[in-house]
Amino acid sequence: MLEGAEFYFNVDHGYLEGLVRGCKASLLTQQDYINLVQCETLEDVKIHLQTTDYGNFLANETNPLTVSKIDMEMRKKLCREFEYFRNHSLEPLSTFFTYMTCSYMIDNVILLMNGALQKKSVKEILAKCHPLGRFTEMEAVNIAETPSDLFNAVLVETPLAPFFQDCMSENTLDELNIELLRNKLYKSYLEAFYKFCKNHGDVTAEIMCPILEFEADRRAFIITLNSFGTELSKDDRETLYPTCGKLYPEGLRLLAQAEDFDQMRRVAEHYGVYKPLFEAVGDGSGGKTLEDVFYEHEVQMNVLAFNRQFHYGVFYAYTKLKEQEMRNIVWIAECISQRHRTKINSYIPIL
Amino acid sequence: MGSLFRSETMCLAQLFLQSGTAYECLSALGEKGLVQFRDLNQNVSSFQRKFVGEVKRCEELERILAYLVQEINRADIPLPEGETSPPAPPLKQVLEMQEQLQKLEVELREVTKNKEKLRKNLLELIEYTHMLRVTKTFVKRNVEFEPTYEEFPPLENDSLLDYSCMQRLGAKLGFVSGLINQGKVEAFEKMLWRVCKGYTIVTYAELDEPLEDPETGEVIKWYVFLISFWGEQIGHKVKKICDCYHCHVYPYPNTAEERKEIQEGLNTRIQDLYTVLHKTEDYLRQVLCKAAESVYSHVIQVKKMKAIYHMLNMCSFDVTNKCLIAEVWCPEANLHDLRRALEDGSRESGATIPSFMNTIPTKETPPTLIRTNKFTEGFQNIVDAYGVGSYREVNPAVFTIVTFPFLFAVMFGDFGHGFVMFLFALLLVLNENHPRLKQSQEIMRMFFNGRYILLLMGLFSVYTGLIYNDCFSKSVNLFGSGWNVSAMYSSSHGPAERRRTVLWNDSVVRRSRVLQLDPSVPGVFQGPYPLGIDPIWNLATNRLTFLNSFKMKMSVILGIIHMTFGVILGIFNHLHFRKKFNIYLVSVPELLFMLCIFGYLIFMIVYKWLVYSAETSRVAPSILIEFINMFLFPASETNGLYAGQEHVQRLLLAVTALSVPVLFLGKPLFLLWLHNGRSCFGVSRSGYTLIRKDSEEEVSLLGSQDIEEGNNQMEDGCREMTCEEFNFGEILMTQVIHSIEYCLGCISNTASYLRLWALSLAHAQLSDVLWTMLVRVGLRVDTTYGVLLLLPVIALFAVLTIFILLIMEGLSAFLHAIRLHWVEFQNKFYVGAGTKFVPFSFRLLSSKFSDDVA
Repeated sequence: MLEGAEFYFNVDHGYLEGLVRGCKASLLTQQDYINLVQCETLEDVKIHLQTTDYGNFLANETNPLTVSKIDMEMRKKLCREFEYFRNHSLEPLSTFFTYMTCSYMIDNVILLMNGALQKKSVKEILAKCHPLGRFTEMEAVNIAETPSDLFNAVLVETPLAPFFQDCMSENTLDELNIELLRNKLYKSYLEAFYKFCKNHGDVTAEIMCPILEFEADRRAFIITLNSFGTELSKDDRETLYPTCGKLYPEGLRLLAQAEDFDQMRRVAEHYGVYKPLFEAVGDGSGGKTLEDVFYEHEVQMNVLAFNRQFHYGVFYAYTKLKEQEMRNIVWIAECISQRHRTKINSYIPIL
Repeated sequence: MGSLFRSETMCLAQLFLQSGTAYECLSALGEKGLVQFRDLNQNVSSFQRKFVGEVKRCEELERILAYLVQEINRADIPLPEGETSPPAPPLKQVLEMQEQLQKLEVELREVTKNKEKLRKNLLELIEYTHMLRVTKTFVKRNVEFEPTYEEFPPLENDSLLDYSCMQRLGAKLGFVSGLINQGKVEAFEKMLWRVCKGYTIVTYAELDEPLEDPETGEVIKWYVFLISFWGEQIGHKVKKICDCYHCHVYPYPNTAEERKEIQEGLNTRIQDLYTVLHKTEDYLRQVLCKAAESVYSHVIQVKKMKAIYHMLNMCSFDVTNKCLIAEVWCPEANLHDLRRALEDGSRESGATIPSFMNTIPTKETPPTLIRTNKFTEGFQNIVDAYGVGSYREVNPAVFTIVTFPFLFAVMFGDFGHGFVMFLFALLLVLNENHPRLKQSQEIMRMFFNGRYILLLMGLFSVYTGLIYNDCFSKSVNLFGSGWNVSAMYSSSHGPAERRRTVLWNDSVVRRSRVLQLDPSVPGVFQGPYPLGIDPIWNLATNRLTFLNSFKMKMSVILGIIHMTFGVILGIFNHLHFRKKFNIYLVSVPELLFMLCIFGYLIFMIVYKWLVYSAETSRVAPSILIEFINMFLFPASETNGLYAGQEHVQRLLLAVTALSVPVLFLGKPLFLLWLHNGRSCFGVSRSGYTLIRKDSEEEVSLLGSQDIEEGNNQMEDGCREMTCEEFNFGEILMTQVIHSIEYCLGCISNTASYLRLWALSLAHAQLSDVLWTMLVRVGLRVDTTYGVLLLLPVIALFAVLTIFILLIMEGLSAFLHAIRLHWVEFQNKFYVGAGTKFVPFSFRLLSSKFSDDVA
């Protein structure tokens, strides 16, 4: 696309952008969270959510209310909104939407394969799959025994197919291999998405690239953190890092050599963006976890995405913010239902 | 006029509701819709309020009722809507009602579940029979045309023996058969091919009749497929793929006898299921019919109950927890009704201690209530769209009733068009009780709600049309024109007159294209036409010049009168709010400013009309020049309109110039003086105040003394002023901005009223164009074809008249009339910063099913 999106952006995508901005206004505010935290039972949560834009989305649920029901209904609502956006979108926004769903699709595929490994019934796992990442071929995933099998038989016609080029192997799918597959898929997915945004140029690139760079680096950190004390070799680890982040290439090389959290922290200290994040991580029991800090930073970036106009980042940001909001509500609801009030305040406020 | 001129006086009342009777009392209040409740628990979040449990119960009931309505609608049973709305249920009945509804819901769910199960069963069986029927043909074809099993050549080519041949392969050969959704066939086949690498044979055929999808209830097309495959492993994969694509898989019979047997068994089972299903459906219908009778009243009752509990949630408990305290706004006129409603409520619940109320004084601004009827409602809405009036300020809606249709009509002046509009509005008014009109949607509803406005607009347009003498752009000669053409001929005059004036003779009439009537010739102008414009102007070529001058002057005169009236209404506001100084320091200078400039302009216009006649018209000075000269003081002397004009004009200008500084500085300086000295009201007390000025208590004591003494009303205004933080700069800024706006506004608003002229001109010209382009052309064609042509021409004329002249032009005139009222008229006095009085009334609850189903 040419430069200067503001001239013709609204011709194709103005309606959806307006819509998504309206949807963003319905995100729960700090005041809402304060009220939610005061709730005594899930019924109270329901009543409070009724006064927000969620409306009476739980009205048709029969008693008793559970956290999973709330979660399911919220997901359904998000899914409805997303489907609406997607159905009304034009190219290249629709490709953008496809890219957005890919991450959920990867998660679903991995979830199903793990389930098959543990001999659980498909139906049981299907209920746990994220509705945004649903596709028809999904249920046949457990036919496959090797990654190349999976690609050839099941996923060749899905949007996930291009991400498979790096991970065609004949290894049997055990737990480790599935995890490797997930990370490889994710790596090539992120790189492809990054390339798409970069090629698109304009404000979209300016907004989306930093978000995706952060996403890539976060994955790199998390992979490193999770690989401590496992049989994963350092070389293997390095192949899993997405290469579209700010850490590429030196940071990733250093990360690959890291052996414990402190070394990781030292790598991060070379980068202005990640230094304060690692400093915010509390050690031991009291403080925030690395994950929480990353989430907070992500929320911040996504909220800032709404400050610019004429770009696709708002859709991505909205979906992510909504997801964070759902995580918050589920967290609060879990704390309430398990009467575990001490940690109820560690949700991540958005607005 | 009383209640429409100002909003009603409100008072804040405290209701003490005994906790046992609160529900009944509120029910009685809700039926009457007298009071607006104030939320006393604003900082309590919604789920921590007192009656949350009851609200939840109501919501549960609503959920059940919504479910019932949904089921009843699905069964196509008509829902009877009651005429009267039942009162909120007494508390004792609520539990009963809840139990009853819950039982009904459980029963209904049970029955529908059974029904669904039966239907699903039936559907499966039907699918199975279809599958069997279709696959029979597959197998024959398979063997006949595909020599796949070369290594096991069939013993005979007789198709009846196919199965035995299959059986021989049976060790390896397996079949999976079933139905698949039409849209998924292609992907399904591809996936089969990829996974099984071609070791399968798929045959499928479309099912001719569409079947219901058991999951979504949609009726769609299906394909029947038969997969033959070799080997266990592949069999598993095939089955998984079938699951993935949500195929309905049915066992495949291996022999013809088996097939026959299954088919027969299926047929009998289908028969049985049909009868059972019918019985279930009958029963379900019975249950639903019974439920449908009472569902309407239940819905209304639950809604009322929920509303009552929402209101109760706004009340606070007193210390003893024995009674609820509610604070309500109530119109003073209705206090008696309020008391009665409370008594009724208490009596109904049989409480020993009655609920009671007392009024409490308050400093807060009450909500605005202006009672309207179906006639005034529309006009009030026009005003409210600008802003709901502040409490007790002059309500412009009263005057809007007349001025709005009038200003509209000035722009829309056409006898014929106005009459059509009047007829349309009359039709709406006469049929206003028709149910179809009441429930009409969108645009029609807009017309319906404004029917009385339309009626008046039409009537006034007829009047202005008569004045303009326009009827579909043609003039009507009712009384005979005041001009006489024959008097212009020289033959009818004496020789003395012939010399003085230019008269017509035959050669003049023949030769010149344009003839001019001279009113100074005796006998030509016999006096003005009795009503409106003389019809002879319709023939004149200088008609437009004449009408422009007339309409322009008219719109300026109307505009200035309208605006001056607005300023005068401001005086009523100041009087009512006891700010007399505002009259002297704001309203009077404003009036002087307006009248000395523009009032004088009107005077000049009228003076010129009255003084100059046809004989002296050539020496009449131009008003425009005179008006400009008023400000420029030209050196050269002009004639002027009258003697001493110069002195009068100088005086007026001086007054204007003096009123401006008063307007700018008067009010702020006066307030400052009051604030600093308070030395204005009586010498004796001034010393008293000055000494104790610092004591706020004393001041208020002093205030109450003043009221007792019935002292100067001005004092009230001052005291209120000083209660607030006194900020001279701010007051000065506000006043300066207001004054600048007013002074510039006087000029620009006067110019703005010229839109009256412009729009009426446009309307007249447009209708004239329509006439000349259509009807004149139609009339010109000679008589033989003309008759045929005239009919479509008239039809087109009618359609264009309605759409362009009536609807489009009417809409634009309507908008301009609104603007003239909102901007030019109301900004002279109307604040419009109030809040509307919204009573707690059951009548405001919707009594429709559609709302609660959605």
